[in-house]
Amino acid sequence: MEIELTRRAETVNELLARYGVKFGIYKNNEFKEQLFPFDTIPRIIRKDEFAYLEKGLKQRVMALNCFIRDIYGDKKIIRDKVVPEEFVYISSGYLASCDGVLPPRGIYAHIAGIDLVQGRNDKWYVLEDNLRVPSGASYPMIAREICRKSSPATFETYHVEDNRDYAKLLRWTMDYVNTGGHTVILTPGRYNAAYFEHSYFAEKTGAHLATGSELMVEDDYLYFVDYSGRREKVGAVYRRISDEYLDPMTFNEESVIGIPHIYDVYRKGHVALLNAPGNGVADDKGIYYFVPKMVRYYLGEEPILQNAPTYLPYYEEDMRYVLEHFDDLVLKDVAEAGGYGVVFADRMTAQQKEDFIALLKREPRRFIAQEVIDFKDIDIVENARRVPRKADLRAFVLMVDEPIVWKSGLTRFSRDPDSFIVNSSQGGGFKDTWVLSQ
Amino acid sequence: MGIISVENLDRLFWLGRYSERVYTSARLFADSFDRMIDMDMDNYAAFCRQLDIPNIYSSREDFCNRYISDENDPNSIYSNLMRAYDNAVVLRNEIGSEPITYIQLSVYDMKKSRVSRAPLVGLQKVEDNILAFWGIVDDMIENENIRNVIKIGKRIERLDLYGRLQMNRESIVREVHRLAGRIARTNLHYDEKNLKELKKLAEEEQIDYDRVVALADTLRKD
Amino acid sequence: MKTLQFHYHMEIAFSEPVHSHIYTLKCLPQTGGAQRIEKCVYRITPGGRVQESTDSFGNRMLYGTAQEEHSLFLVDVTGTAVTGVQAPNMPQDTPDLSVYRYRTPLTQPGRRTRELLGHCRKRTADMSLRDKALVYMEAVHGSIQYGKGVTDINTTAEDALALGSGVCQDYSHILLALCREDRIPSRYVVGMMTGEGESHAWVEIYDGARWHGFDPTNNVPVEDAHIKISHGRDYRDCSINRGVFTGQAAQRQSILVEVTENGGTPA
Repeated sequence: MEIELTRRAETVNELLARYGVKFGIYKNNEFKEQLFPFDTIPRIIRKDEFAYLEKGLKQRVMALNCFIRDIYGDKKIIRDKVVPEEFVYISSGYLASCDGVLPPRGIYAHIAGIDLVQGRNDKWYVLEDNLRVPSGASYPMIAREICRKSSPATFETYHVEDNRDYAKLLRWTMDYVNTGGHTVILTPGRYNAAYFEHSYFAEKTGAHLATGSELMVEDDYLYFVDYSGRREKVGAVYRRISDEYLDPMTFNEESVIGIPHIYDVYRKGHVALLNAPGNGVADDKGIYYFVPKMVRYYLGEEPILQNAPTYLPYYEEDMRYVLEHFDDLVLKDVAEAGGYGVVFADRMTAQQKEDFIALLKREPRRFIAQEVIDFKDIDIVENARRVPRKADLRAFVLMVDEPIVWKSGLTRFSRDPDSFIVNSSQGGGFKDTWVLSQ
Repeated sequence: MGIISVENLDRLFWLGRYSERVYTSARLFADSFDRMIDMDMDNYAAFCRQLDIPNIYSSREDFCNRYISDENDPNSIYSNLMRAYDNAVVLRNEIGSEPITYIQLSVYDMKKSRVSRAPLVGLQKVEDNILAFWGIVDDMIENENIRNVIKIGKRIERLDLYGRLQMNRESIVREVHRLAGRIARTNLHYDEKNLKELKKLAEEEQIDYDRVVALADTLRKD
Repeated sequence: MKTLQFHYHMEIAFSEPVHSHIYTLKCLPQTGGAQRIEKCVYRITPGGRVQESTDSFGNRMLYGTAQEEHSLFLVDVTGTAVTGVQAPNMPQDTPDLSVYRYRTPLTQPGRRTRELLGHCRKRTADMSLRDKALVYMEAVHGSIQYGKGVTDINTTAEDALALGSGVCQDYSHILLALCREDRIPSRYVVGMMTGEGESHAWVEIYDGARWHGFDPTNNVPVEDAHIKISHGRDYRDCSINRGVFTGQAAQRQSILVEVTENGGTPA
């Protein structure tokens, strides 16, 4: 059945432009704002299918939370040799300064973005967990608003779960861990790729948007300072700056966008930081391999969601497999993000292969190898024609007293028909994600 | 939203100033453009002199193109609009998404009028959007202080422009009174001595325009 | 066993007055291992209200904000330490050792580190951990020349070996790089030594029961001439002073440490 909305693309795009739905990008060292290309054909997820995803996502994020708490606490999973300790301690996401620091209510991953893809066999696979500063929920949220405005008939016909409650869920998530005081969204500023999202969330949740220079620490508490010099205590910070820039007194000394001593305030339990610093230890590409094991270890359950079939050259057995099936695999450098450091073996020249295998043997811990998943393509409209493209889904899981899965998600697609990489920083676009309510 | 930081208070003020600068200079340009069509082709020189901007233009056509939309000309209407935009876009938390859309729409309209042989049509849309912006600021923003700071910026800018243009006495008197009535209701720091002097100047028969401009620009204290 | 009087003095001179100077100091020695701190007093000028806390490695931190304008920032710590204590009831920290077993960016090995290690390994087969550490220490001591100004705080162990010269920090990083290639839990230590001079750095190695100090700069095991202030994975975990301030000023930091055996009076 044709979706009426797809005939309203022009109106939708006009409205998206009106609302300035943009992301920032650096080209030749110059900051540019670009509209985030939107395709009107939604990704549609059936009610029962979403129920399955929801269950699996909750389970996964619970286990990841347990893992982070364990790593910075008792380290049982290491002692029990489920995860080899060097995967933890050499990970760039492991922060020794977080050891022994328990965040308010013991929650580390308050806002998780789990990237999934669907295979041609309809099976879902988790590609990546993002537990630091996952972005993107604002786009489907505002796109839905605009789509409903542009094509009410579509939403009369289809019964789609409303996704505009994200702001309410986010506010709840922030309030749940607030230690007493205002709620702040901390942004690196206007020239950050996701600035639109930061300011949009602040407006929609009623939190204060602040840069580091507007906040200060005094006597082990965090304050927002207004123009008259009045101070207001801050109890929760949804920070959209990365760990290393958060506090020059504990992390990167050169940081000018952080807040000196905010980490010390956090250490004393006087402010909540969402997400918790140090989460990078759990969304490392190397640790990803162990997530299904974490589910079994911490929850005593079989994992509902599957990883893409992954091999760790660190294990001899896996190394053998990787070398034997090299051409069928995609190799990922665990230290890289945003679609970088990903190579498809079948696209390498003979020389590149030889060099790569030598590197792999020298630094087996640095790479993971995955089977190339046969993606189920999704149609987009290009020059008035429907064409298939690769797409992924970032599902958002918010942690309150229990995990809540947002009934939508960010579907990103690659505009290049030959590319598997869907990141907006590499030219991709996005779609709305519909979860059917009946 | 109860709390406003120093930075954002400043941005609100400048958002008011730049939106006014765009609006009034677009209207002034329209007058001048009309004369340049067939009456006084070199009127742009006088225009520059009056507004106290450097006359870097080589011809009527060059002026019309660049003064409207040249992003490298710091005095162009476009550059001033982008300054308004740069302030607006970081004030979503204070003023809300809806008001920002009108500044955003002005930017699109300005870009469209860039290529037009009839630039006043596009500029009219820019003016419409600025008026809508002021309207929605008045209507939608609950925090009185935020509304007032934007308006003070607008009033000060207008007095500055009218002073430079040596507008008639009645206009200056009206603007001084509008400004004086409003500024007392904000939390902005301002120089009471200067305000008093401004009010006195407005009572004189002969307006001292240079002094009015100087006082308007130094009225606000950080 | 010795009773030592210590005085740690740090001053930062600013070329222009600064204000809102935010600082974190890790400058307080603690009782533990083979040392007992009997008296310890600090003064920070201008310090504002000073907060205390403990970092994840167990080091004591002092921090705060000096709001007022100043051109000079002074930190003084004085006290009495008993060193070389072998009493069985001394608090021993045996935290998570694994964090000290793996390389950090500053102790990342390269070709030169591996060569040096290969050299040592020939002599250390069947040796106890402590004897092995002595061999490594000696090798590190001979691997570079002591010299100031060649390396800086970002120099890695491998870089220092390539440069052939360095200070106590570099000696320590090289020794750590060697130990960690063998997965021996080893940590960077900042402290003071008897006599007059700057602060010092050395290495501690865990032998399965307790930590032992090795000073590769001086090629001596740590007994009772060293007072430890802090420890961590490398230099970055132990910087004595971190600070940010408001003002356009160049800063010059100088440190003077005086440690005398009981009976002497530190100035």
